[in-house]
Amino acid sequence: MTQQANSGLAPRDTRPKEQVVVFSIGDHSFVISASSVQEIRSTDGLGGNVVELDRPVLRKVRHIVERDARSYYVVSGYEHFHLPLSRPTSVLILRNVPVAVLVDRIEEMAEMRVLLGLPRSFCGEERTWYRGLTVLGHKVVPVAEPRGFLTVDELRRLEQENPGLLHTVVHSVGTLRRERERA
Amino acid sequence: MSAENNNLVPSFVVFQVGTRRIALRREEVAELIASPQLFAFPHTTPMISGVVLRRGRILPVLDLGPAVCGAPSRSTRFFLVVERNISGAIEKCAIPVQGACELVSGIMFPHTDIVDFVVGRLDFNGEQVDVLDLEKAIAMNAANYDERILATEVLS
Repeated sequence: MTQQANSGLAPRDTRPKEQVVVFSIGDHSFVISASSVQEIRSTDGLGGNVVELDRPVLRKVRHIVERDARSYYVVSGYEHFHLPLSRPTSVLILRNVPVAVLVDRIEEMAEMRVLLGLPRSFCGEERTWYRGLTVLGHKVVPVAEPRGFLTVDELRRLEQENPGLLHTVVHSVGTLRRERERA
Repeated sequence: MSAENNNLVPSFVVFQVGTRRIALRREEVAELIASPQLFAFPHTTPMISGVVLRRGRILPVLDLGPAVCGAPSRSTRFFLVVERNISGAIEKCAIPVQGACELVSGIMFPHTDIVDFVVGRLDFNGEQVDVLDLEKAIAMNAANYDERILATEVLS
């Protein structure tokens, strides 16, 4: 007896889906919307595109990186989440915000089917850090808020202490690279 | 005691946190659950140790250990689900408990000690059990946590 194909009758999952990047810092996994990530690079590959901040006003931001004629504040992931010192090997260069985040590992790309609000009992900095929580493979994982890595206030402080640096880095790194190429 | 009279006697849930037996008013407790896994992630809220999944819903785990025993509770699979009113919204939280939980009826006597988060004392089979004001315990521990953070920042 042949089993009839019934794929046409199977209920379709109509819940909205979102592609996410799963990354880890220390023992913790996080996800971030793939649409908010411009590029993922190895920290080894950044090389000469990194400039040290003259006045690092935030412990978690010490460098600026230039990519494709744009510059980004490099945020240490473990410092941001108040985690013990870790060894970042990848950097997530974000879209629409001047932020690149150092993370330990990229675990996988996944599909997020549910975004649950952070319970109200959580009342600390995590309300800025996360869009909410999701469930991936029976595991609850926080969903990083791209604008939470550097708040408007933190960006203002960085700009005040390092005026114009974010805009001049692109020029200076480009000049440096050309000089190196000539030599 | 008749059933009618028995309804007038308040009920309490007695449970163990660390080395201490404490009680909550029955009305504050929704259920006792077993959950296979606690999921922890970085955050800065004192007394919250993570979340558990319960019927597709996420419950924050509220560890009373630091407030009532001065140390985090040992890991456990059993949680007492309580309802908290946070800024006008009801939220269920899971409190890790060790050992057996008991539902008891009894008269609560006003507490004379200076511990603010204890609202009264229950005489339970000759054992004196403190009845907790959950929100006060959380608020007091949060205030102590803020003071510790401030002291650490000053010293560093």
